[in-house]
Amino acid sequence: MNSQTHSDLTVVRWQRGVPVFGMPIWTKNFIFLAALALTGYVLVIYRQVFGLGAATGLSDGFPWGIWKTFNVMTLTALGSGSFPIGIAAWIFHRRKLHAVMRVTLLISFLVYLTGLLAIAVDVSRPWNVYNLLSVFRWNTTSPMWEVLWCMPLYCLFPLFLENTPPILEQWYYFFPPGRGLVVWLVPIIRKTYPYVVALAYTLPILHQSALGALMLLTGNQVFPLWQTPLLPLLYVWAAAFIGVATTIASVLLCCLTWKRPIDQSIMDELVRLMNWLIFPWLALRLLDILVRGRFLMMFNSGLLSLLFWGEMLFLFVPAFYLRQEKYRNNAYTLFRNCFLIVLGGMAYRFDPTTFAYRPWRIGIIAYYTPSVVEIVISLSFICTCICLFLIAVKRLPILPAPLQQWYGMESYYRNFYPYIQMSGYANTDQHRPSYAD
Amino acid sequence: MSLTRRDVLKLASMGGAAAAVGEAVISPAQEHIPTPPRDAVGMLYDSTKCIGCKSCVVACADANGLNPDTRVDHLHQAPNDLNSFTKNIIKLYKRKGGSGQFAFVKRQCMHCVDPFCVSACPFHALEKDKVTGVVSWTAEKCIGCRYCQLACPYQIPKFDWDAFNAKIVKCEFCKERLAAGKEPACTFVCPPKAVIFGRRDVLLKEAHRRIEQHPDKYFESRVYGEKEAGGTQVLYLAGVNYDLLGLPHLSPDEHPSNWLRWQERVLKYFALPAAIYVGMVSFLRENFREHEAEMDEEHKKTGLMPQL
Repeated sequence: MNSQTHSDLTVVRWQRGVPVFGMPIWTKNFIFLAALALTGYVLVIYRQVFGLGAATGLSDGFPWGIWKTFNVMTLTALGSGSFPIGIAAWIFHRRKLHAVMRVTLLISFLVYLTGLLAIAVDVSRPWNVYNLLSVFRWNTTSPMWEVLWCMPLYCLFPLFLENTPPILEQWYYFFPPGRGLVVWLVPIIRKTYPYVVALAYTLPILHQSALGALMLLTGNQVFPLWQTPLLPLLYVWAAAFIGVATTIASVLLCCLTWKRPIDQSIMDELVRLMNWLIFPWLALRLLDILVRGRFLMMFNSGLLSLLFWGEMLFLFVPAFYLRQEKYRNNAYTLFRNCFLIVLGGMAYRFDPTTFAYRPWRIGIIAYYTPSVVEIVISLSFICTCICLFLIAVKRLPILPAPLQQWYGMESYYRNFYPYIQMSGYANTDQHRPSYAD
Repeated sequence: MSLTRRDVLKLASMGGAAAAVGEAVISPAQEHIPTPPRDAVGMLYDSTKCIGCKSCVVACADANGLNPDTRVDHLHQAPNDLNSFTKNIIKLYKRKGGSGQFAFVKRQCMHCVDPFCVSACPFHALEKDKVTGVVSWTAEKCIGCRYCQLACPYQIPKFDWDAFNAKIVKCEFCKERLAAGKEPACTFVCPPKAVIFGRRDVLLKEAHRRIEQHPDKYFESRVYGEKEAGGTQVLYLAGVNYDLLGLPHLSPDEHPSNWLRWQERVLKYFALPAAIYVGMVSFLRENFREHEAEMDEEHKKTGLMPQL
């Protein structure tokens, strides 16, 4: 409640990324998450030695398990916040949103990284992945090819580069030997930035739609409420608003747990962006079902109807509530509603791959229950993501804060690390790198 | 208004890009009708002739060097479905309630005219032969993503779940035997000639001839595989509903190139992604300068490094 009353009394304006200072990394929760993550990596060895059959609940009737359908096809949507927010900030001049860019870029990078890990574990002939480089073997119209090329490329090139500024900045201020490198690198980054950033907005549009196109080829094996030629468009669109909701929720979570001030105007801007994405998406989805003549299926297909309405309501109700200022201004209701939106969006991305995927066979229904090994490995990747996020957020200038907090951090570092020369603050500093040079 | 050379080039390139995007995305759709290769081979399986002796199952395993799958009773080669030991199987449909109606069905790869697995495979590990139309698998190209299994509407490709060097196992039409001028093992051994080998067009005529000869014998007087999802090279005739034999109902236009039509158009020549990229770069270069000027002002005020 502290942060809330704080933001009620004075208007908070987030100005720049500031490290969370004085926070210990090795907390109880962190150790638990790290232990879970390590357990998963041990089990990865088990999976590699004994094969997919021993480690997973997969069968010929259900060839894709949660590593692909959840960790890759569903979770990467959480990391897609950087492209809608980035496009809004850079192209539509929503300058305020620059303040949260670092958080959303970090989330994107980590989530995609864990997605890549999941693909690497799931693929069962990994020694043939070199085929990505043999041009004459490419099947460029296969959605899988697009995913396999586009996702690593996006994660390891534009997203990686977009995530370097916080590290360079940290070096510049707190690691004097690295300062020369930073001064040399900054002009180069500055020159290439628009090209890299444009790539960072084009690639996710391509591969997030390709993730939807993956299910297109299963044809009528996916229940008609989900299967539509518009699946790629709906997938990439859903990724956009899930990403924004994830960004809001995770920034809020950090602010609430560490009692940091919340900038309401930026939250409003993000919610507006999210709502502009959600309502047309819901309309398009319903329209698509009506046009394909599946109106009655929304009501008479048992559990699948329930699932469908669950998705729709989990998106519609929170988004509708967030139209009211009352719910937006309260950090707790805002967090809760964004969390529900993330859940609803994830359900939409997950359902056609698993619950609504009915492999056609007579008399035999293919069931799939993920094995314990599978679940632990999947969780371990998610824990890896959270651990790395916590380390980065606690050590690097990523979370947005007002300028006073930066000065507070300066005095903190002066007290605890007096040997660090805080020359970045003096206007007389000769080595200060400038993006305007 | 004076045009510099730069402007002209810019305009020309923009026009070119617009034309390419238009050509790829907006131009009227070419109706893509899957057509079998000229010398497409095929099989015709007549369920009413099959006696269920399973000679073909044994011959298939023998010809393809597969270990006999005796996992059910550790004695007989009696797999209960297609699996990583079995590329071909005879199954029995028996009506409940004791009316005595039954039918055998031989399940194997259908060698579709427009195969889902080939469209799905990212590196052409599954390929359709340009002459014979046989769909076969190459180990060096397969990364084991199992997308072929997910995409196949007939649930044919099977995966070696327990092996380290896991393989995709499916009927490859005994392509070594074909190359040696012999017919596939299953058609070669079939005692009542329930499954026969030949050119697809010849077999299709034969199937229609049989239907004409016995108008009431075959289900709906139709050949399964003639039009299903663009057609298959393995054709079926049966006396009972094909659904009951595990052959799904697929309409003729449900072939993969139809499902992926938008995908293909959007990605044609990479014109649209390239156009999006170039458009974004041009916006970003301009806006970057603008936003940067503001950052520099802040930089002057606070003395802090501008943040990207």
